[in-house]
Amino acid sequence: MKTSLNFIAYLIYLPIVIVLTWYVAHILFKNGKIFMEDIFHGKITIAHATNKLFETGFYLLNLGFAFIIMEISGEIYDNRDMLEILSTKIGGFSIYLGIMLFFNLYLFFRGRRVSKQKARMAEAYIIPPVQK
Amino acid sequence: MNTLAFIVYLLITWFITVHVGLIFYRNGKSYILNLLHGDEKLTLFINRMLLIGYYLLNLGYVTMTIRFGKLLTTWADVITSIGTRTGKIMIILGAIHFCNMGILLLISHYHQLANNKH
Repeated sequence: MKTSLNFIAYLIYLPIVIVLTWYVAHILFKNGKIFMEDIFHGKITIAHATNKLFETGFYLLNLGFAFIIMEISGEIYDNRDMLEILSTKIGGFSIYLGIMLFFNLYLFFRGRRVSKQKARMAEAYIIPPVQK
Repeated sequence: MNTLAFIVYLLITWFITVHVGLIFYRNGKSYILNLLHGDEKLTLFINRMLLIGYYLLNLGYVTMTIRFGKLLTTWADVITSIGTRTGKIMIILGAIHFCNMGILLLISHYHQLANNKH
């Protein structure tokens, strides 16, 4: 009886997925800080706090998704099978991550546009400033 | 192997829950403070309530779903069941987190409307 390769497949899958998510989140939210500072009109603490909140949520959702689709049903006995299954899984996850990345970028751009619009409106109509 | 899986599972989920909760607590404060326009008391109250509710909900759910349903015999089984469960919990955490942020945003909108009326 051959030994099944499922365990090795998991050992390859998990580090790749975790590193991939970490890398994407790192890049995205390193640059997200600048957007956030723009959105909150340069209030640094709030901008950074919101950025961190979004980052944590991003990690939770994406790593959670990666773990949920981890299960390989059936036994793998063959290197070729393992390569194919792992490729499908990691490729699918990469596409999902890409979609999430662009969705986040869209949110950043939209937030910046809305906050700029608000600032312009406040200048034009002299709405009483927000009370503190 | 079930016992081992229980221990690892509880350790991982407990660590994630507490760690993430603390991050939310620290960074959420200035976020809520901004949304409520510097209402310090209400912010502290909301923040603490959110943290406590979050811990109760998650640790309760984690402990409740501890039953693995089958005998784990191989290492692959152990990793699979721990992984899928942790993944589920992380997704639930993320969803609740974004819901919270959205609700706070809504509250701040109403706050602002009420302020402008006066």
